[in-house]
Amino acid sequence: MMNILELIPAELIRILIGLVAILVFIALNALILVYVERKVAGFIQRRPGPYEVGPWGILQTLVDAVKLMGKQLFSPTGGDRLLFWAAPLLAFAPLPLLFLSIPVGKNLVAYDANLGLILILAFSGLNVLALCLAGWGSYNKWSLLGAVRSVSQAVAYEIPLLLTVLAVTLMTGTLQLSAIVESQGAWPWQWNWLVQPAGFVIFVICALAETNRAPFDLPEAESELTAGFHTEYSGMGFGLFFLAEYTAMVVVSSMCTILFLGGWKGPGPEILGVVWFFAKVYALVILMMWMRWTFPRVRFDQLLNISWRWLIPLSLFNLLYVALVVKI
Amino acid sequence: MVFNWFHFGIILFLLAGIGFAVFPIIVALLFSPKAKGGAFAQPYECGMTPQGGAWSRIGITYYLYALLFLAFDVDVLYLFPAAVFYKDSIGFAAFWEVFIFVFVLVVAGFYFYRKGVFTWPRKIKM
Repeated sequence: MMNILELIPAELIRILIGLVAILVFIALNALILVYVERKVAGFIQRRPGPYEVGPWGILQTLVDAVKLMGKQLFSPTGGDRLLFWAAPLLAFAPLPLLFLSIPVGKNLVAYDANLGLILILAFSGLNVLALCLAGWGSYNKWSLLGAVRSVSQAVAYEIPLLLTVLAVTLMTGTLQLSAIVESQGAWPWQWNWLVQPAGFVIFVICALAETNRAPFDLPEAESELTAGFHTEYSGMGFGLFFLAEYTAMVVVSSMCTILFLGGWKGPGPEILGVVWFFAKVYALVILMMWMRWTFPRVRFDQLLNISWRWLIPLSLFNLLYVALVVKI
Repeated sequence: MVFNWFHFGIILFLLAGIGFAVFPIIVALLFSPKAKGGAFAQPYECGMTPQGGAWSRIGITYYLYALLFLAFDVDVLYLFPAAVFYKDSIGFAAFWEVFIFVFVLVVAGFYFYRKGVFTWPRKIKM
């Protein structure tokens, strides 16, 4: 028995365990986050939020998921069936891959790739393609407008995002996520956000825009576009977009944690690293929810011009500032 | 081309992602009702019968942003290898090189700003 176990390479076991853990995490995370979002919305608007199903409404999302799976799937007449159904799959498919090289704790990573940062940046771009296909395949004017908006929005906010990530790379000299975490200390004043506060703020704003969260949720602005790119999706088609959105929130939050907030580093023994990591990630997620229910939606030309007029020049100056700091 | 565990991981995770997404759709196909008839699958336009198709020509005011993005994005990608090496470089020569590169980008952005690309409704001076 022992001989067979020794024949299996350690990397394979590591990747497989990582895969199972990540898939379980994605499912659980969506169930919890949807509930938390609705509770946060409720409390901010001075109403209880979901409270009928289970104690404090805790089983609400589970019931919703079952309901979504029981809904009939259909594609609109005149639309492109292939593109229409490829879109939700494409929106979800790259998400487990984004977690592949995210270090959750010391040595707690499925595969510690030396190009981890590029991997995440490259595959998160597939999301835009999915929204584009969804809008085009639906044969619906709302969907098409939503898709056009989402592409130009993602394109506008990709550049300041890349530039702030670049500034961090400039400081640490590596694209390996675990090495970026290692370069920061245990206490908050040893993290990167203090060296480049402008970069941190720009990254958070771009993260909101890239995940299509309010106040930048123009692609699915329900008061003007019905539901934007997912107007025509019923049941699980919509469910997959929803799942993708909530997982993407965690991905950008963990990227922000790793780049600017010290990753799994924190006061106390190293075994607490996982706790620190998830505490920081979920604090950022709660911040995103808080912003969603507090700020009004921006107008579309404002949305594009915030990025092109302010964020891109600011992130360029941030890059030069960091380059200077590294040399001094 | 050497095939290592990283490539294996990428392919495995992509396949797992597709499988994870296909599973609930198959469940939905098995258990959902199958209603037919009427204006059931008509594109939704607030309850009215749609006027014309969606695949018509729409005024895209965004194409200039797309062109700008292409230029900026490629430039930023060029900076990534430089950024990885930057810490190991000696002296201020590397800083000035990055500075010149970024300065040209800033000048380009300023040019488009003065041209009126970022003002709505768009009035581009030729």
